[in-house]
Amino acid sequence: MITFLRILTGLVLLGLVVLAAILFMPVRTTPALAALPEDYTPPEGSGEYAMRLADCSACHTAEGGVPFAGGRKIESPLGTIYSTNITPDEDTGIGSYSLDEFRAALYDGIRQDGAHLYPAMPYANYRKMSEADVRALYAFFMDEVEPVSNAGPETALPFPFNQRWGIRTWKWAALSEPGELSSTGDAAYDRGAYLVEAPGHCGACHTPRNLVMGEAGYTAMDGDFLMGGEIDGWTAPPLRGPDSAIRNWSAEDLKLYLASGRNNHAGVNGEMQLVVRDSLQYFTNEDLDAVVAYLRALGDPAAGDNAPPVDPPRTADRLDPSAGGTQAVLTAAEPGMALGPRLYLDNCNACHFVDGRGADQVFPELDGNPLVTAPSATGLIDTILNGAEVPSTTVRPYSLRMPDFGHRLSDEEVAELATFLRSAWSNSADAVTTADVTARRETAEERAAAE
Amino acid sequence: MPLPDWKTTRRGFLGGGAGAAALTAMAVPLHAQSPEPEPLENYAPEYFTAEEWQFVMSATALLIPSGPTPGAIEARVPVFIDLQLASGFGSADDWYMAGPHIADADPLLGWQSPLTPAEIYREGIAAVNAWCEQTHEAPFADLLPQTQQEVMTALSEDEVPLPPELRGLFDLLLQNTKEGFFADPKYGGNHRMAGWTHIGFPGARASFLEWVDKHNVPYPLGPVAISGERG
Repeated sequence: MITFLRILTGLVLLGLVVLAAILFMPVRTTPALAALPEDYTPPEGSGEYAMRLADCSACHTAEGGVPFAGGRKIESPLGTIYSTNITPDEDTGIGSYSLDEFRAALYDGIRQDGAHLYPAMPYANYRKMSEADVRALYAFFMDEVEPVSNAGPETALPFPFNQRWGIRTWKWAALSEPGELSSTGDAAYDRGAYLVEAPGHCGACHTPRNLVMGEAGYTAMDGDFLMGGEIDGWTAPPLRGPDSAIRNWSAEDLKLYLASGRNNHAGVNGEMQLVVRDSLQYFTNEDLDAVVAYLRALGDPAAGDNAPPVDPPRTADRLDPSAGGTQAVLTAAEPGMALGPRLYLDNCNACHFVDGRGADQVFPELDGNPLVTAPSATGLIDTILNGAEVPSTTVRPYSLRMPDFGHRLSDEEVAELATFLRSAWSNSADAVTTADVTARRETAEERAAAE
Repeated sequence: MPLPDWKTTRRGFLGGGAGAAALTAMAVPLHAQSPEPEPLENYAPEYFTAEEWQFVMSATALLIPSGPTPGAIEARVPVFIDLQLASGFGSADDWYMAGPHIADADPLLGWQSPLTPAEIYREGIAAVNAWCEQTHEAPFADLLPQTQQEVMTALSEDEVPLPPELRGLFDLLLQNTKEGFFADPKYGGNHRMAGWTHIGFPGARASFLEWVDKHNVPYPLGPVAISGERG
């Protein structure tokens, strides 16, 4: 009995020591990755450009709010996280941050007061950002952004996630080593790797999460890196591997998609819409080429471009009357057809056509579209219910809007239509249930009500 | 012009309700997406008085008669007109109405009446009914079908004496009846897309690219409404 008590006491003491260590052991922040002179001045414009590369504005700007003043809702699996004010306001922003404190937030997820930032802030990726870009960002936020006093809503996650000290243990398990990326000698590839892996933080959404909810890989060396993840219930498609849709895109298609959110196959959707709108469209031509070179090398388009044949000038000539399968059913337009294809003809066909191939740079292809066939049908359901919008960009100024069909279709009908789309043409994905649709409709209504 | 067999006295219409109900019941499995609205005989007009409602029911039934194919009554055209007159169309919200109004100007010069469409219906129906009382001793709705036909013909040929500001009544009524028969069902008429089905118009689908090269082949699929209702 005494032995037992001794062991128990020992364990409790050990636990307390560990807890005390987590709570009170001073955190070591990552030092600068390169020594730049104290009086280093970032080149003109490099600050704003680094901000575009890191896409700070997408998260740190509320819907319709002042840029960088925070308050945007970020729906995380743990609950709603509100982004913070990163304007140089002394009280509510980051105006009193020193360069080292600023770097600690970017690299280590440490707030000025020492509290741990939720990993909604992608420090897991930013910790590979160059010192030059850190300096550029710091100079931009201190000198070029107007201070805005905006305290914003406080993030209040449920227990235990409100215990920020716990994030420290998460960091031990989930983060990779900070540091600059290794060079392969191929300048374009290396630049692309840097943009994608560090400031672009593509992996935050496109890399699957491991058991501790960390990214399952941080560089091209990791097999799971960019193999597809999830964001707010939507599937973020894989950017490499056999299931990657962009594998079949030409370099031109990929570049146009990044710069404008549209190409001959797809239209940007979901959270990626913000990435194109606030970040990618501002990339220089060289940086876009670098990202394309990197992604294509990563995706191993071994068979070359599998781009479909060039469309005939008259779209009607594309619609082969002898085609079978889905296209035959849609072309016949028999009144006795199943509800799914009937709903497609009534609602989708005018833009996406009976061959599911849409129109170049305007209407996305549905045949082989990763949003349609994603493991999670959430993105497809949300798009049918609420519509979608491809943003205006410099190279393609017109924004394109797909209308919402939620007012026109019942939950049963959306389920029928989505199920049809996921199995039409060459698509082959699971059916969608009415309950799936009802849940997404309720989510959209709750969010609209909370606005 | 041959006369239509279908007559629209109040009694006749009420009696026909059972038949219409049976027809409707048969059609339900095709497009049971929205519940059947209040039957016309129970409909509470938003704009019309009871007397005006009877006039519009009779007049529209005469303009698009019912028979083997649906007419204005099955398509609920009177509901369409009632709702339109109760809305911005009735009060000419989008029209230039500041005058000067020279009501007896050449009709080719367009709308000259100082009255809104709703006022034209209100005063025009009263004037036609008064004329019917005077010449046939009953309001329009209570006349025999043959007599109604004669009155409507006279009205269309400007032979019913109306003050110039009401002279547009027949054209307005005919126009609105057609609109009620063919406009999207969301406006209250073209019920169950009766008008579209009748003429083979496929509705708000608006895409037939795969059919452009199919000549002399009837398009088989029924219509769809803006609401998504399928016919």
